[in-house]
Amino acid sequence: MSTTSGNRETERKAGGRSSGPTVKDIFVEGAIDPAFIATSIAKHATRMDIGAHEIFLGQVRADAVAGADGHPSATTVSAIEYTAYRDMALERMTVIREEAFAKWPSMTCLHVHHSLGSIPAGALCFMVFASAPHRQAAREAVAWVVDRIKAELPIFGREVLSDSTHLWKTNR
Amino acid sequence: MRILLFGSIAEKAGASSIEFDAPSLAALRQQLIARIPDLEHMRYAIAVDRVVMNEDRPLAGSEEIAVLPPFAGG
Repeated sequence: MSTTSGNRETERKAGGRSSGPTVKDIFVEGAIDPAFIATSIAKHATRMDIGAHEIFLGQVRADAVAGADGHPSATTVSAIEYTAYRDMALERMTVIREEAFAKWPSMTCLHVHHSLGSIPAGALCFMVFASAPHRQAAREAVAWVVDRIKAELPIFGREVLSDSTHLWKTNR
Repeated sequence: MRILLFGSIAEKAGASSIEFDAPSLAALRQQLIARIPDLEHMRYAIAVDRVVMNEDRPLAGSEEIAVLPPFAGG
């Protein structure tokens, strides 16, 4: 079902564009391990043109749903089960990525990961990581990419509640 | 044609895809509501070949159609 190319690990270098945009698979099964993030940071140590990293991390929040739909007052979100329309999401992400590099041409690299499957409250489900020579491009790009992903990628979240019922998450 | 369903809409329909033929997006919307009456009270978008379409348009039958509930990524 995926249209992902086999070239997932190749990160685009600034100014190094050759053919069409590479479709990268952003989806990971399960939560994002903090150790994976540490490793991602460490991988940039060989890039001497980078002066700034900016990272956004999304964490599953144990929202209280007191009173909503007749749930008892102690009901909270215990996990979110993420699913996606994978082919459309990866197409949209490829466009967003290309637009981000056009908007912030100094950006050295951009890494995006989003979880699928059941992610417990407190675990990480989303990472946007940009690097650039200076902080402004990295900061602006991450904020912009996070907002675009939340608005445009067909990702769906089934909130499993502590009373074993569920609700469907909607981005505001 | 095969219509892909996701999230709360797949749950309401009890299926991740349904089959029927519609000559246009407007006709498809009518058939969808007949098949999944709860849709009338839900927010959703229809994607044709992985692009959300708001206007009516004819359908050839070979398109990839998907019915999408509100997005919740992040």
